[in-house]
Amino acid sequence: MQKLELQEVSAGYGGEEVIHRISLEMTEPSIYVVLGPNGAGKTTLFRTICGILKPFSGQAMFDDMDLFTSKEARRRIAYLSHLNALPEEMTVFNTLKYYADIEGGDIEHVLDLLSLNDLRDKKFSSLSQGQKKRVSVGKIFLRERDLYLLDEPTSNVDPKISKEIRDILIELSKDKFVLYSSHNLYEAREIGTYLILIKNGELKFFDKIDNVKTREYRVGIKTLNDISRLLPESKFENGYYVVTVDSPREVAKIVNNLVQEGAELVELRELDNPLQEFFEEG
Amino acid sequence: MSFWQITMKRSVRLSRTYFILGAVMSIYGIGLSNIISLVPSGSVNPAPIDLANSFPILSVAFLSLSALFFSLPVVMLFVYDKNNGVLEYLLSTGLDQLDIFKGYVKASLALSAYLLVFAVILNTVVGFFMGTSPVLLASMAGLTFAIGISEVFLVSVCMVAFSSLQKTPMGANQPLGVVIGIIPMFPALILPLVFPSYAIVIDILIAAVTLLVSLALLLSIGHLILREKLLP
Repeated sequence: MQKLELQEVSAGYGGEEVIHRISLEMTEPSIYVVLGPNGAGKTTLFRTICGILKPFSGQAMFDDMDLFTSKEARRRIAYLSHLNALPEEMTVFNTLKYYADIEGGDIEHVLDLLSLNDLRDKKFSSLSQGQKKRVSVGKIFLRERDLYLLDEPTSNVDPKISKEIRDILIELSKDKFVLYSSHNLYEAREIGTYLILIKNGELKFFDKIDNVKTREYRVGIKTLNDISRLLPESKFENGYYVVTVDSPREVAKIVNNLVQEGAELVELRELDNPLQEFFEEG
Repeated sequence: MSFWQITMKRSVRLSRTYFILGAVMSIYGIGLSNIISLVPSGSVNPAPIDLANSFPILSVAFLSLSALFFSLPVVMLFVYDKNNGVLEYLLSTGLDQLDIFKGYVKASLALSAYLLVFAVILNTVVGFFMGTSPVLLASMAGLTFAIGISEVFLVSVCMVAFSSLQKTPMGANQPLGVVIGIIPMFPALILPLVFPSYAIVIDILIAAVTLLVSLALLLSIGHLILREKLLP
């Protein structure tokens, strides 16, 4: 069984500690969303896991191999940073070939996977920010790894490509570990199974996202007909009947009931993300 | 293709100006080494130094300098790759800082070796037609390689070290590497004129010491400079 384990890890730069005594154990291949405000230590955590930063204390291990000292362990990890990290003077094909020559991999597979075939002969520096990000994401799929660390992989990417990237990661997570940092709480809820919350370099929460407790959950319901009679406790705001429930599970019951009573539903909208509250309170 | 070969190819594409400058300097050095044969015999007597034998040795330093210019784009590429996150990604794939330093230094050495081969062949051909002694030509060929390669080695190592240690991602520390690296060039330039009889021995000694210092420095920085110093 594969296992990523951090034991009381403290790390940082030039002697200055950024993350403090973080302990995590991941044994289930899945998507672990890493949330935290800017400067919380998400990137430092990723750099420590991929073996670039040596922990000041504690140990980061993958399958019982030390991630700082074991080259073998590091080769099983893919790390996507905020930067594109590609030689900009080359064509798209050659930028991928650059890494394929160094560490091996299948360029054609990446071009197909991320729909990059139309861009293959274009110079990387001439691409839009979104296209550059796609190529950058592509490099981590040149060869198969066991652990994927992705630092905001969908920033600057249009919604269609964002969804494609998320779909790839969801598929990957069936038998791989995917750690995914994001500021987008809705995206985090959509793809994440586990939530890792970091604030001020400290681990504040690590559990399944479903176990995130919230005080309340607001949903907006838009219909073609008047349903105020069916939802007397709701408030009508900006075209939506707003109901407050204790958990997302109650929404399904309400919707079923409305449909049975003849409500013509147009849209169902989550008005507050439960993670938002959690994120702010820490 | 290995990492250093890819790096060398990328450097060639990055800046052609340095290659032109290196080629021009090597031709200048070759001209300098052969110009003495144009001076009529006895016209420089009584000379304080043996120009006929020491002057061509002097050009070794110029040829070495041309090799240095030829290899500079590699170190510029190092700074560029550090700043845009390529080095960070390479570290995450399992390479160590020493692997990365070696890759760039090897690319530097390989590029300069190409120029030195060209320069030595050209110098030997020109020298042969100008009537330069075969022994002197052979000595120059050996010394050009020895001084040139050791010089490029030292400068490359110094430049990657200083660029890694720089806090602001500008690459402004690179010239420090050149300044420190060319220090051994001065004795190689002056001492053969002062001690013409020992010119070859002096240059071989300088090359050997420079090579050893460079190798020790490379191995040291591979262990002393932390991986985090290669982060953008």
